[in-house]
Amino acid sequence: MHIFPYLIIAAPIIASAFYSLQPRAASIAAGIVDILLSMLIYFQLPFHNIFYVDFTSWIFLIMVSCIYLASTLYSLNYMKDIQARGISERTYYTLLNLFSASMFFTLLMNDYGFMWVGIEATTICSALLIIGEKNDVSLEAAWRYIILVSAGVAFAFISIILIFYNFHTLNVYDIIHSNPTDGLMGRIIVAIALIGFGTKTGVFPVHTWLPDAHSEAPAPVSAMFSGVLLPVALYVLYRIYQIDPFPLLYTWFAVVSIAVSSLFMAYQKNYKRMFAYSTMENMNMALLGFALGGVGVIGALILLITHSFAKSGAFFSSGNIMKSTGSKNMDQVSGLWKGMPWTSTSLVMSSMAATGAPPFGVFIGEFFILSMLAGRNIVQFSIVIFFVMTAFIGINYNVSSMVFRGSSDSREQGWLMAGTAIVCASISLLIGILFLGGYMNALV
Amino acid sequence: MNALENIVFLSAALATVSGFYIQAQEYIRSMVRGQFVQAILIAATIFVLAFVESSIDLVVLGLLVLVLRGYLITELLERRIPGKGSDVKEKDIGIASHLLLDLVFIMIGTFIIYSLVFSRITFSIAGSIAGDTILVFPLALFFQGLFLIASRNSTFSQIIGYIEEENALVLFAIFLIPVPIIIEASVFLDVLALVVISSFVVLEKFTHNPMDELRG
Repeated sequence: MHIFPYLIIAAPIIASAFYSLQPRAASIAAGIVDILLSMLIYFQLPFHNIFYVDFTSWIFLIMVSCIYLASTLYSLNYMKDIQARGISERTYYTLLNLFSASMFFTLLMNDYGFMWVGIEATTICSALLIIGEKNDVSLEAAWRYIILVSAGVAFAFISIILIFYNFHTLNVYDIIHSNPTDGLMGRIIVAIALIGFGTKTGVFPVHTWLPDAHSEAPAPVSAMFSGVLLPVALYVLYRIYQIDPFPLLYTWFAVVSIAVSSLFMAYQKNYKRMFAYSTMENMNMALLGFALGGVGVIGALILLITHSFAKSGAFFSSGNIMKSTGSKNMDQVSGLWKGMPWTSTSLVMSSMAATGAPPFGVFIGEFFILSMLAGRNIVQFSIVIFFVMTAFIGINYNVSSMVFRGSSDSREQGWLMAGTAIVCASISLLIGILFLGGYMNALV
Repeated sequence: MNALENIVFLSAALATVSGFYIQAQEYIRSMVRGQFVQAILIAATIFVLAFVESSIDLVVLGLLVLVLRGYLITELLERRIPGKGSDVKEKDIGIASHLLLDLVFIMIGTFIIYSLVFSRITFSIAGSIAGDTILVFPLALFFQGLFLIASRNSTFSQIIGYIEEENALVLFAIFLIPVPIIIEASVFLDVLALVVISSFVVLEKFTHNPMDELRG
């Protein structure tokens, strides 16, 4: 019997039970336990019973557990002196734990129906987290998140019904490993899933909740959304895609989404919204990799794990800046380098990582995906390369302006917040260097 | 077409009509009660199918719809209506124009999807109680729910639109193939939890309009 999956899901739920005792310490303990368990489960891979864990889902488990711990640590200082709270600090940690538990549940279950339930549960647990810093705008953003994502994910349930109708089971392992390609019905299932789960993944045109929720949520919640929630939804989409791969549809949706997100990114004034659109671009790049298959899948996995640390670093840095300057507007933020050297370093590293600068891991992931795409469809390749460059220039120019232009009296907000941001950004660099080192060794 | 088939067709059609009724209301309480009627109609459809198929699972499902959608959600929503509940209505909505647009949206949505996609597959309907044309009703109700969300700006209307969508999925599943009851029950609880969460938002924000901060 495999006990680890039960424990991984149970740890954050047990931490939630410490609502009136020590919610902060319990959340940190649950985060550490989940990282250890996620690492240990590697030695049992692959297995399938009521859970289905293979190397792909393991990568996602590592991502979720690491970003869960990082966000909890960052929250310790960030949530301490919020003036207008929509929810109490205790409720915040309880919801954060349940949110993580629902993501673990989604990743581990060997049943498409329960995966759907898990995705819906992530919405329930995370919706109120958006109003951690309460104002009229965050309330509106939270509501858009609830209604748009729920409506979209409800649509995805049609694909679950059709899977059950077609295969008379919802067992993920059995369906994927039965060479299930089944013509029109399979195509309908994966197409409906693309629109349904694509809402949560950030696929154009059903992405509209994404920049609102990311920009208005407290920084650690934005980090969880960008770093792990969207990838978890992408994981479910990928598992359905495996039923009957439909690359033409998926690649075009991904290419158009990359183009749209890059265009929107270019004229943002709010730095958190800019990073939100960058997340949309990265998720669709990963979707492109999954849709292409082969090396593209490896590229997508490298991209996703690096992106989770890079974007968490970016949102943690944004939180530090927001706390220090009181503004989310890029025009009102300048000269960070002098007053906030650690945050500036993490912000620059994170934005370079997220935009695919070498030697960060995102670069390696994108390299695999784009080299695969170049051999398949030169038109799509040309469009993607153009918009990836647009995004690279747009984000790095804006971040450089915030960091190096002008002067300000901004100050670091304590070692824990700056430290968490820089550790996350450094891990994204480390993944790239380690992978490049291993790759070079293999070549030699 | 035998009597049971007629009953199933009629209740499915009435559930869709109740969606139009909700769309035509501007008073919140009327919309909530329309949702209650819709849940009762769906429960009735499920009970007929349970009788035809002698299925305990469907009986449980019908009871879940009755208790969770018919009673709990209706009660929860009614209690959240601010002030004098019966007087609260949405402002500045063009009922007639919305209904017309709604019809166009549903006609296009339902018939495009049905004729281009669903009609190409031969579905075997649960219990063979009706032909697969009955799938048109849940599809129409689904698009009706979507339109309600898109066309209105009050929190209540949008929640009810979402519940309509979920009701449509219940109908769709029971006509095609009822999914395992444990999953269906989890879905019901998810929707209930979402309505509970939404009711917190109702207290703070009754209407939703475009905001400059969230543009672009």
